Amino acid sequence: MLTPLAVLWSLPLVMVIGLSLLPTSNPQTTAFGLLPAEPSLRNYVTIWEDNPILQHLVNSLLITVPSVALVVLLGSMAAFALARLRVPLKAVIFGVLILALILPMSSIVVAVFKILQALGLYDSRLGLVLVYAALGLPFAVIVIRTSFLAVPQEIYEAARIDGAGRFQIYWRIYLPMARPAIAVVVIWHTMMTWNDFLLPLVSLGDNDLKPLTLVPLAYRGTFLSQPGALFAILVLISLPIVAVFVLLQRHLVNGLSGAIK
Amino acid sequence: MRDSAGPRTTRLAGPPHGPNRESLVGLGFLLPALALFAVFVLYPIVFNVQASTLRWDGINVGEFVGFGNYAAMLSDPVFVITLRNSAWWIVLTIVPQAAVGFLLAYALNHRLRGRAFYRAIFFVPAVLSPVVVGIVWQRILDPFNGVLAHVGRATGLDFLTASYLGDPETAIFAAIAVNVWMWTGFSMLFYLAGLQLIDPSIIEAARIDGVSHLQLVTRILFPLLRSTHLSLLLLGIIGSLKTFELVYVLTEGGPNHASEMLPTYTFKQAFQIQQVGYGATLSVVLLVISIVSSLSMVRAFGSGFLKGDER
Repeated sequence: MLTPLAVLWSLPLVMVIGLSLLPTSNPQTTAFGLLPAEPSLRNYVTIWEDNPILQHLVNSLLITVPSVALVVLLGSMAAFALARLRVPLKAVIFGVLILALILPMSSIVVAVFKILQALGLYDSRLGLVLVYAALGLPFAVIVIRTSFLAVPQEIYEAARIDGAGRFQIYWRIYLPMARPAIAVVVIWHTMMTWNDFLLPLVSLGDNDLKPLTLVPLAYRGTFLSQPGALFAILVLISLPIVAVFVLLQRHLVNGLSGAIK
Repeated sequence: MRDSAGPRTTRLAGPPHGPNRESLVGLGFLLPALALFAVFVLYPIVFNVQASTLRWDGINVGEFVGFGNYAAMLSDPVFVITLRNSAWWIVLTIVPQAAVGFLLAYALNHRLRGRAFYRAIFFVPAVLSPVVVGIVWQRILDPFNGVLAHVGRATGLDFLTASYLGDPETAIFAAIAVNVWMWTGFSMLFYLAGLQLIDPSIIEAARIDGVSHLQLVTRILFPLLRSTHLSLLLLGIIGSLKTFELVYVLTEGGPNHASEMLPTYTFKQAFQIQQVGYGATLSVVLLVISIVSSLSMVRAFGSGFLKGDER
């Protein structure tokens, strides 16, 4: 049962790669439209030469990497406070965070657009970094907090008695112990940020700042005549995120079972 | 507590009294996160509630209309379509994704050659951008060049050459099918994680007692995976209500609003026809629906499983 299902599931993946090799000069396909009749790597050269694709790739990185770093840092600090420190209104803060998990991005884009304008962060990659970080925080806090709670309270007490500061305890003891949870957060947040196109669509006007995900939409007209190039861009969008997943997938199941319990 | 400052305590200036100081440190850890959160998450909610009482194009000064937008919404036929589509989406994604996801997890939970490879094949769709998934499936379902149409013409199964995304009767179901392809691997991963928490000796003991696969699954594993089912159910409902990207790329909510979801409709109102007030009203309603359905699930099933909550 497993193999046929796996074949069926992977057909769309095969098709993206197949069609990315479809030359504009010969749009004939074989294998029920999955593969080009005459494969060629030409499209990859074309997209590299014709569009400022490198710039879009860099934009995607400049938005994703800082926002993932910010989410892990601020999220784990907040999780530490909620798990181990005395904080007023702890239950309320936690409840509000959970509330934010159900907030759809499309329902806040108008307000976010206004705020970014007011802060002078419209048409800026930094603005996107901050918004994604804010939206990613609830998930990060919840997952990392669960794994902090699994660290015995005695370790915290003992470190305090030894005179360790709270930041030291967080940084040196708790953070390293939450690695599987952090892996889950990194995968999840990278996915969310790298793959999103709604926020850049409304908050970036300048073509030179746009991330990769907007390229297929921004150049839709151009791609009508060269579908192969479009699919080559899709492959390019997907490669980094698939690589992150493959690198971290080992931690994913463990991290998740820690989070479910 | 031990606040008579021992020689080894390295404390900064500040009110040196126990609980207060502790709270300050705690707040210090929370503050950066809370600040970002307040600006980009809480404020937008307040903004929406406020804007929902206005007739407003987003640029000029809005005109106060009280609950006018809400009243207009109730008689908006597209709003009814979005509710119906969301209901379809909830039922027709959660059940197949969980069923197939569980079977895959069950099959992959044993030592098996190529296990990591299988796992990757099924999970990769979930890590792809909806832009990628949407464009790929547009091509697959294309009545002229698409894979389905090719298969249909080759086998004589003419129904496969239909334009599933272009037909108002089928558009929403085509989008739902794509969603199932995309997210089944996610359910699989959740069940794999859940299965890992089950003590292997329970399964072994059942095997020794001669329990069949079917009995093992229905009588033993299913009840033990309760918190996984509930997490997936909650995530599925929230995820369905939030669906935007996939539908936007596949059909843009069309043809003629047939596959419209609340978020796509909200987006159109606010950004394409500048009805920011009405868009905000739809946002508030969507948020209320999400909160009510999540809270009632927490009420019904207990809050324990919220810890496993994703997304």
